[in-house]
Amino acid sequence: MLRISILLVCFFSLSLNAQNNAIGPGEKLTYTASYNMSGILTDLAQVTMETSAVKTSKTSLLRLKCTATTYSKWDSFFKIRDLYESYVSPKTLTPYLYNRDINEGSYYKNMKYTFSHKTKTVKTIQKKKRNWVEKKTVSIGSGTKDIISTLYSLRTFDMTNLTKGTSKIFTILFDREEVKGKVTYLGKDTISTAIGNKVCYKLAIEAVNSNTVNGTLWLTADENKIPVYGKFKIPVGNGELKIKSATGLRH
Amino acid sequence: MKKLFTTLAILASILAIILSVLPVSNLAVIPAIAALIFGLIAFYLSKKTGHIKKIIQFTFLLTIMALIIITYKAIFTETEVSSTKGLEATETKLEEEALEELEGLEIDEIEIDETELEDIPFEE
Repeated sequence: MLRISILLVCFFSLSLNAQNNAIGPGEKLTYTASYNMSGILTDLAQVTMETSAVKTSKTSLLRLKCTATTYSKWDSFFKIRDLYESYVSPKTLTPYLYNRDINEGSYYKNMKYTFSHKTKTVKTIQKKKRNWVEKKTVSIGSGTKDIISTLYSLRTFDMTNLTKGTSKIFTILFDREEVKGKVTYLGKDTISTAIGNKVCYKLAIEAVNSNTVNGTLWLTADENKIPVYGKFKIPVGNGELKIKSATGLRH
Repeated sequence: MKKLFTTLAILASILAIILSVLPVSNLAVIPAIAALIFGLIAFYLSKKTGHIKKIIQFTFLLTIMALIIITYKAIFTETEVSSTKGLEATETKLEEEALEELEGLEIDEIEIDETELEDIPFEE
């Protein structure tokens, strides 16, 4: 009985607070992605997460944009210029349009999703080098989002009263396939970052039914809930994402 | 034993010099320190027998060169992003295309919150 009541309290606290109160337009977060082997850090790339307001004749939307750019010392070895963007509802972060444009070394791919939530379908267009185009329509479940809006959605949940170990399952549309991810709340933690010492909510992120993604994310325990630090396991060593600067925060 | 440490010192110093010229020059510290340790052991063992091979001194030279390159790069190489013009052009192009497409879309406020919630025991 106690278990069920805890479950219900958690469920309602999460579902009631799925409205976006943390993310506004004009926010820019800059990160350094690095590789950590036995405590020796090697900086690989700069990652930015930006939001901006987009107005159409009918409505206004929020553009969530993430870019990954390798530092100049890597450019002659392996140049990465990746862009991910999602056009979402400012209130609920429901995605309407998603673009993924990746330039990694000599590899190029562009993926576009146009969401139709009424019909629960997504029109996809995949482009590769030499004008290779493939169009496909895929069916999605009612909770499915793209990876960028899912990442931002983590910030919309109220975590003040969560108990350690509470987890939430997300469905992400990635490479035209629905992938289930699990986020588990691991409690509060104080860490030192480039923007000061921050009390954070520590979250474990993993892919359900697969060990390919396994990481930990620290979100500031304030109203903005910005991700300040991320740690991802790779076969040798760790990948790290550290915040460098944060501007235009809503609160 | 002497041969083993000499070989290890050679291998570690070569690895250190290769890593030091790559962008992962920071990581060259590990084989450089290993090369110094192996080189010193090989040097000590050789001294006991009275014959010091030139190759051991050569590994020291390689290791010192690697350490100089690592230090130089750590001090003078700035981690900065350059040439993002292509990316900026893509951003503008995609935004223009997206705006055009969004104009034609029927956007209604549907709240997505059908995600499942589980309560699983916390494991550290």
